[in-house]
Amino acid sequence: MGLDIRVPLGLIFLITGGMMSLYGLFTRNSAIYQKSMGVNLNLGWGLIMLVFGAVMFFFGRRQKWQDDPVSPRPWERGNGIPR
Amino acid sequence: MERLPLKPDREAGLEIARDAVNLSYIDWLIMLVYFSFVLGIGFALKRYMRTSNDFFLAGRSIPAWVCGLAFISANLGAQEVIGMAASGAKYGIVTSHFYWIGAVPAMVFVGVFMMPFYYGSKARSVPEYLRMRFDEKTRALNAFSFAIMTVFSSGISMYAMALLIQTLGLLHGIVPDAYIFHVSILLSAAIVLAYIFLGGLTSAIYNEVLQFFLIVAAFGPLVWIGLRNVGGWAGVKRTLPMTMTRSWHGMEHASTNSLGVEWVGLVMGLGFVLSFGYWCTDFLVVQRAMAADSEESARRVPLIAAIPKMFFPFLVILPGLIAVTVTSRMAQPVAATHVSQASNDAHQALPEGPGRPHGIIPLKTDPRSGQVEFDSNGNPVYNYDLAIPVMLLHFFPTGILGLGLTALLASFMSGMAGNVTAFNTVWTYDIYQAYINKRGTDAHYLMMGRMATVGGIALSIAAAYAVTSFNNIMDALQLIFSLVNAPLFATFLLGMFWKRTTGHGAFTGLLAGTGAALAHHGLTLPDGANPGLHGGWIAVLHHYPSDMAQNFWTAIFAFSVNLIVTVLVSLATKPRKEAELVGLVYSLTPKPVEEHLSWWQKPAMLGVGVLAMLIVLNLIFA
Repeated sequence: MGLDIRVPLGLIFLITGGMMSLYGLFTRNSAIYQKSMGVNLNLGWGLIMLVFGAVMFFFGRRQKWQDDPVSPRPWERGNGIPR
Repeated sequence: MERLPLKPDREAGLEIARDAVNLSYIDWLIMLVYFSFVLGIGFALKRYMRTSNDFFLAGRSIPAWVCGLAFISANLGAQEVIGMAASGAKYGIVTSHFYWIGAVPAMVFVGVFMMPFYYGSKARSVPEYLRMRFDEKTRALNAFSFAIMTVFSSGISMYAMALLIQTLGLLHGIVPDAYIFHVSILLSAAIVLAYIFLGGLTSAIYNEVLQFFLIVAAFGPLVWIGLRNVGGWAGVKRTLPMTMTRSWHGMEHASTNSLGVEWVGLVMGLGFVLSFGYWCTDFLVVQRAMAADSEESARRVPLIAAIPKMFFPFLVILPGLIAVTVTSRMAQPVAATHVSQASNDAHQALPEGPGRPHGIIPLKTDPRSGQVEFDSNGNPVYNYDLAIPVMLLHFFPTGILGLGLTALLASFMSGMAGNVTAFNTVWTYDIYQAYINKRGTDAHYLMMGRMATVGGIALSIAAAYAVTSFNNIMDALQLIFSLVNAPLFATFLLGMFWKRTTGHGAFTGLLAGTGAALAHHGLTLPDGANPGLHGGWIAVLHHYPSDMAQNFWTAIFAFSVNLIVTVLVSLATKPRKEAELVGLVYSLTPKPVEEHLSWWQKPAMLGVGVLAMLIVLNLIFA
């Protein structure tokens, strides 16, 4: 199938991770981190997600899926559809 | 005795469950990003949906790792995530048997031995394989029962999701409280409908992959921070009774472990009959492997899936154990815990014995009156189903909390989507094309698949409301599923590995197996239950120590009866010509060529590796 899943997967982690780390950056030392035992989970985990998203996106983008042929039908051609 | 200090914490847990879901804009933004991607994938895939083959089988063009992640995620729906954590909180790490014994060996088997027939026969669905191997009536039996079950499963998933959204008050303040349930059902139905209607199976698979990574991204830090809080795995072991932290402890007898099953019933019932019956024959999961881009990939799909599967207990069961450990550790001095453990050893096998910590698990309240529910002995009932949500709310600050809720919603929706894609394929190929319109064009069947998606979701909504209005229907449905599924694996095993098996044999065997399951259920009763839905509705001949033991032994009986009846009827009826069975039966099919694969790429090698890892894991937690 044309669209490589790593592109949307990378993007969703880039965006979510980016939002979380920005939010974590602005809420440093905030009282909300009492819940997570003083660990700024938004900043730390957000950055990890950002890196993961970037890696996925990079590998997904190496192939241009938009140029893929539409409907390749790999197995229908040969023997016909078993019925 | 030392139960008193726990009280304030229990009430704190209640508060959390009731109204403390304070989401800020960042949480909503994260959820919004996810939902726009879900729909975006559907739109991006729309132009590739040219033939019915693209829509129902993803054009058989998906790489193995993508199918592999979808293979486990399709199964990781609402009941799984919520239920496994609940069971972890209630029974302990023994719950991981549902993954280690109850899934991984079956996944290795389907990958190494069965996939060549599913994929190589070019059948487009599991019922279609049954028609090619046996006959029309066996296919019809399987297709109809499967179609009905998928609709109800997806309805139950929808119901569970709406119930959770309502319990957490997620839409509180946005939608009037009385409508939250209905809005959640319609909203989830609309989103799932949109992305399957547009992108078919590919869309479902891609969203399952997103769900997989979201679950890991959300539950990973949850477990990390939770373990930090309770002092690591050692802290969990210190606080909880040994039956909860060791997976094989007391398995030699049903009364000495928390599941109430002895190891024979566990290994044969869960590990062999039930798990092989599900992972090897259920089209919901097999469909994911059939979408792979080659037979080699298809065989690798379940094997790739088995690796994360065996580590999933740490993501979905461990939060349940942490949830019961958290506050009890703070409330009880360590020394006192040791004393109470020693003195209460006899009771600790029971899930609700005295001295058993409940941590932050809230009490179960009646949704209408808000009163705490009590069991027949007057003890308050704990709502273990809230283990995961309560953990998320307890440890996650706003921001990452949005990620946690997104992961939960994602798993609910793809649980639904998995059932819907399986339903539309079986409906279109095995019911509509087989019995209603045999001569439609491909475009017609593509259109029918889209209509079936709409119809399947409409029926799921109806099922969700049926579950809402009748209290017992969920238990009854799950009972019926288990009775229908229990004998299935015997049919496939004989069909694939014994060429003499005939269509008449398979059909009568299946019916006899289901009948045996029904009879066994009607004649036995778990201890402490009243005759009725739990069994014993014919007469009570035998008592099982727990309903799980009854369930496993029902499956063992159903499987054995099916096996025996199928063999006997097959021997009495005329077999098919061997030439017709090439590609469908093991002994008549050329072995898959593997010379061009390196040793580590061979399915058998992968399978051995997976099983070795499984044994190591079991030894660590034995």
